[in-house]
Amino acid sequence: MSRIKAGVSLYSLQDQYLTKKMTLEDIIHYVKECGAEGIEILPDQMLKGAPDLTDEQVADWHRMLKETGLQPVIADVFLNTNLYKNRTLTHRECIDLLIKEIKQANRLGIHLIRLVSMVPYWVIEPLLPYCEKYDVTIAIEVHAGMAFDVKATNDFINEVKRLKTPYAGIVIDTGIFCRKFPRVVKNYELNNGASPEMFDYCDKLLDQGTDLHAVIRQNGGKLPEDFVATWKTHEDEIFGPLCDGYENYPYEVMDDLMPYIKHFHFKMFEMTDEGPEYSIDFKGLLQYLHDHNYDGYVCTEYEGNRFTLPGHPTVEREQVARNVKYVQACLKEIQG
Amino acid sequence: MFDNNVFLQGTCKNVSEGGKVIGFEMQTNITYYRAIPLSMMEYVHVSVDGEAVPDEDIRVSLDQNDWFTQKEAETVTTYKWEYGDPLYIRVLKDGGLSKGSHQVKLTVAVRTAYIPVPLEGTKEREVVID
Repeated sequence: MSRIKAGVSLYSLQDQYLTKKMTLEDIIHYVKECGAEGIEILPDQMLKGAPDLTDEQVADWHRMLKETGLQPVIADVFLNTNLYKNRTLTHRECIDLLIKEIKQANRLGIHLIRLVSMVPYWVIEPLLPYCEKYDVTIAIEVHAGMAFDVKATNDFINEVKRLKTPYAGIVIDTGIFCRKFPRVVKNYELNNGASPEMFDYCDKLLDQGTDLHAVIRQNGGKLPEDFVATWKTHEDEIFGPLCDGYENYPYEVMDDLMPYIKHFHFKMFEMTDEGPEYSIDFKGLLQYLHDHNYDGYVCTEYEGNRFTLPGHPTVEREQVARNVKYVQACLKEIQG
Repeated sequence: MFDNNVFLQGTCKNVSEGGKVIGFEMQTNITYYRAIPLSMMEYVHVSVDGEAVPDEDIRVSLDQNDWFTQKEAETVTTYKWEYGDPLYIRVLKDGGLSKGSHQVKLTVAVRTAYIPVPLEGTKEREVVID
């Protein structure tokens, strides 16, 4: 039996935090009010001094969790391989940094770490004794633009399979399930001077069940000529190459991966007035997950804040509330 | 994408030491969505009224106590530029900005963990010195 639970990544409310409209405490309480059961946090974003937290910070964290009853589901961790300008970290330095992150997660009562895309596969085996000791699982993020056709991602997944350990897996970001090009991204870019034809091109591909990323891959890694032909402005030249960050995989791409999937980022750009998200069919995805016995969290990850038109307020709070409500309604219908 | 984080409004002013104006100062949020050690700051550029300030005249600080040249900042791994805390940027220039209105442009870039190019943000503001 699947038991899918709705959570919120605090990433979704980052602008509230940056502009000091909300503190971490405000955000945690707000997420509870929205009806979430769990939270996801980027320690590097909202816990100062991470991963070297003070005992007071850790006690405060546990107090907020106790007050709200929210589960601390997952910590989003980064590996600063380019900490120095003149060289890349050695293997040992990388592993030492990640050991600190595992210990930090344990102090925070978190049992799952999301490793950012492109973290190399060779960190897993040396980290396993620490994962076991501190009861923390490490999982690579499969993110649009850095998904199943990217060597680093596949190497990591293959290593997870080889090691046959419950302490390593993957996190899926729903940006790989875009059925329409995000409207807020398009409008933001049009305002910056981009040409509508560029987005029409991307939407046509999505309509056909493919996407620009896949077409580039089929074209030997080069942008298709007829896509570049849609460019008219300087902004097109800047943003055009970034249009491949919205992929259109079928859910079936997860068929063989379900045993390794530990968590979902419910990446979302725009909850519409009508109900669903503009680009991503969360209801269809939740049905798939239910049918495949997924037992875990799906965490709202609002990305539309970055595409707020100049002079407009960000609508993070409203969008998060809407997404959680929508996901909970879908779950009620699907799970009963 | 992170232009809105750059150059906090109302922070640009002349700075004095020992009764002498030694330059001017401004603050910026990070052009990223998380904290990083200061060594991962890739560069800071400042221009005034269309003219670039020499990078070697720029100093940066996280606490307004320890100030680093950009070359020195490359080795500062102990202290983090926190998300939500400003980086203080000082331009050493005898007399600072002259009285009147100036167009001051600030460009900030940081290295991320997984994106091959640094994340850059720019903002130009009109600054009035009384």
